[in-house]
Amino acid sequence: MGNGYAGKILRVDLTAGTVSEIETEQYREWGGGHGMGSAIFWDLCADKTISGFDPANVITIMSSPLAGTLAPSASRLEIQGIGVQSTPEWFTRSNMGGRFATMMKFAGWDGIVLEGAASKPTWIEIENDRVVLRDAETDGLWGLDTYDTQERIWNLQVANSDGWREIGTKSGERAALQSAVITIGPSGEKKSRVGALIHDAGNAAAQGGFGGVWGAKNLKAISVIGSKDIDVADAAALLNARFSAREDLGVNVDEPKDGFGWARFSGNPSPAVMYPMPTDVGSRPQACQSCISSCRARFSDGLGNESSCEETYFYFFADMMYNQGQTTPTVRYSAEMVQRLGINVYEIDHGLNWLYHLYQEGIAGVGKQVDIDLPWDTYGSREFIETYQRMVADREGAGDILAEGMWRAAEHWGRLEEDTASGVLHYSYWGLPEHGYDPRAEAYWGWGSILGDRDINEHDFNNLFWKPSIAKWYGIPSWMEAEEFVTKFAERMLPFDPDPMMLDFSEDGMYSEGQVKLTAWHRHYTRFWKESALYCDYRFADFYSPKTEDRGGFTPEGEPLFWNAVTGDGMSFTDGMELGRRIWNLDNAIWTIQGRHRDMVKYSEYLYEVPYGGHLYGPYWMPTFEDGTWDYRLVTGRVIDRERMEDVKTMFYELEGWDVSTGWPTRETLEGVDLGHVADTLEAAGKLGGE
Amino acid sequence: MSDIKDVNPAEDGARGLSRRQFMGGIGALGALGVIGGAVAQVFLLPDEVIAYPVSGGFLLVDQKKCSGCSTCMAACAIAHHGAANHSLSRIQITQNPFKAFPYDIDPVQCWQCDECVQACPTGAMHVDPETGVRTVDQLRCIGCLRCVAACPRAVSAVQWSEEGHASQKCDLCLDTPYMDDEGGIDGRRACESVCPMRAIKFTTDLPEQTEDGYSPNLRTENWASFGYVADIEG
Repeated sequence: MGNGYAGKILRVDLTAGTVSEIETEQYREWGGGHGMGSAIFWDLCADKTISGFDPANVITIMSSPLAGTLAPSASRLEIQGIGVQSTPEWFTRSNMGGRFATMMKFAGWDGIVLEGAASKPTWIEIENDRVVLRDAETDGLWGLDTYDTQERIWNLQVANSDGWREIGTKSGERAALQSAVITIGPSGEKKSRVGALIHDAGNAAAQGGFGGVWGAKNLKAISVIGSKDIDVADAAALLNARFSAREDLGVNVDEPKDGFGWARFSGNPSPAVMYPMPTDVGSRPQACQSCISSCRARFSDGLGNESSCEETYFYFFADMMYNQGQTTPTVRYSAEMVQRLGINVYEIDHGLNWLYHLYQEGIAGVGKQVDIDLPWDTYGSREFIETYQRMVADREGAGDILAEGMWRAAEHWGRLEEDTASGVLHYSYWGLPEHGYDPRAEAYWGWGSILGDRDINEHDFNNLFWKPSIAKWYGIPSWMEAEEFVTKFAERMLPFDPDPMMLDFSEDGMYSEGQVKLTAWHRHYTRFWKESALYCDYRFADFYSPKTEDRGGFTPEGEPLFWNAVTGDGMSFTDGMELGRRIWNLDNAIWTIQGRHRDMVKYSEYLYEVPYGGHLYGPYWMPTFEDGTWDYRLVTGRVIDRERMEDVKTMFYELEGWDVSTGWPTRETLEGVDLGHVADTLEAAGKLGGE
Repeated sequence: MSDIKDVNPAEDGARGLSRRQFMGGIGALGALGVIGGAVAQVFLLPDEVIAYPVSGGFLLVDQKKCSGCSTCMAACAIAHHGAANHSLSRIQITQNPFKAFPYDIDPVQCWQCDECVQACPTGAMHVDPETGVRTVDQLRCIGCLRCVAACPRAVSAVQWSEEGHASQKCDLCLDTPYMDDEGGIDGRRACESVCPMRAIKFTTDLPEQTEDGYSPNLRTENWASFGYVADIEG
């Protein structure tokens, strides 16, 4: 097939124990990643209303034509299917970096589709065209944590004395690198709704509870190693683009320069850990394949290798509290444990805060309303966090309830209504934990999540909070003032007119047409450029740069530059946005079949009743347009206005061309994106939106 | 100093140098090697061991600065073959995510020693007469893989190319048909030009040798600002 694609997708029927191929060409129109995954799910999942635990659930694991090439920070995976974490269960997505997408492509596969459920614990070994379903118990994998699973698989795949492995089915097929493995840990094996998929030390696809879904399919791991070519359309153009990206936009790690702390594509390779970097151990940056920077670290004691962001944060304050203000290696230990056990860190993080509050209120404890046996007097210690995490992973005692996710656990213990009204249970949308970027302040993050299927976890506009807020907190000058900042974003938001009012986070701005357009732009952009082309969320979109003369970023030129060098498509940025809109429409059609309706689109009660106080981070500064001027202003202290939220929903549905009374796609809109057959299916199901 | 003499190791059965012998030989012959590289392929040292002219260039890779992104591997394969394929990359970044830094990553690039040249029975693996770079004439390669086995690196820096049905190795981008820029000693090296951590550097100076080969420190003072230990003193 060429030009970025391996040419075929592996289809595994776990029930029958057989494998077959799908020609990638059949789904080429969707680009890759999420687009292909949605289209395959639409075609192969006959009954889309089933539980995610049902063997008939179809899981797609898709790469993009950019994976393994020189496209910066784009060697990622998109994982889709019916998730089990949210309420209700429905079609959702997760994503990870690392090496798997690259190695899968080199083995000759653009993606993997999982159907059915194995009769016994199974793992899949892929070496180029050779695909074997192996017994996970006989091979000693079942029961192991995610790290031990991977190392055991590597020990089964021994290299020659020259360091190269003979792989595949033909003589001469060799690879020096070890296989890339995605695996579940004990949490997934126990069919937990908070089970994650883990690859290497710190790549997790945790949202959706796909670890538990794999457990239900009796699938422990997939290992892949390959030695095949991935052709590119214009090798010289691709090389030149990458040379230029480093020189003209990338950070020069050897030279300090102002503004790089603000940057995304040009960002410093500082690790995204939320604790102070330890000074008593050495470390290096660690990056996913083809990354233009890096965002993780590995340490000289190996503890907490590759963990970043929330894993490194959730036990940070407890550790400090327990150790008289000192940070200890327990923080990295707790991060590593999350990875080893394969647990969604947001669930156990918010769950731990919630349970600790209930303990302090005398509600949680042995024999109490929330009947749970945890050593609270050692809260902050290594012993405590180990007990808590193992409880959740192994479903021991109250862990059997917690493994259903904190939303369902609260429901089980009769705490849901009260604790989501007060906000003690910090779950905002669809029974899922709030990310830290609160809908009462960072409006589009909330709108995108509640108008979609999950916490969006997409940071394209997130620096509109972080950068000015950090400057305010520490009393340092802003590298870019508010008006220039929002202008830089707006002028790159094709195909919309460059209107900075899309970035107005004043209270009126939250409910404005501009914020609705921002939300829609974000859905379309991410559906294609970040979830299908699979550019990394940490590096794209790139709206501003400390390295260009006009301080403008790589978006919208960068995304199609690499796409076209690899594929030869001649795609424009706007073409990609339109494809993203098409994918977004298909997703909404799937949710509609699964029972979604406008009336369900509601936040948890606390967001309407409890003024936002800063929660995780403190005072929240964002650009606002008030009294005729742009400035960074405090946006805390707000609640969501119910009536104005309804206006936002109406405006959003109108902008998308969906039925405003139901939120369902209309025939006109679906046919406008060449999805007439989807409209036919919705109509047959009585769920086609009116014009 | 002994006379300089052209020797074909395949014909006279000359014994190879150990890596340590090679390094010692280069230390003594460095200047001569550079001068003589254009006219001679092999030197006969006084103790009758064989040495080759020193390469005109070397890739330095800072093991502690590398982030393991493997962009160099993609660039290498694309520049030489027009396709991405880590197995076709002449630089291999092996890593184990669970190991402790700095042993979690082992960048394997050609040291430009001559073990592979000595092992070759046909002269396919040879010293480029103009540059001193150890390189392969793939038409003469018979696929015996002796060069692959002879490489002193833990993972052989000489690879078997399934595609080319011949051995291949780093040529410092002398022959990169898919790269617009000229490669080689006076040109651009693809891996060096894409490395985001600037952990790969080309030099024409003979690298400082240790028991483990080259262990350059390419970190600057700015490195510490990211939270990593610059370890400037080495």
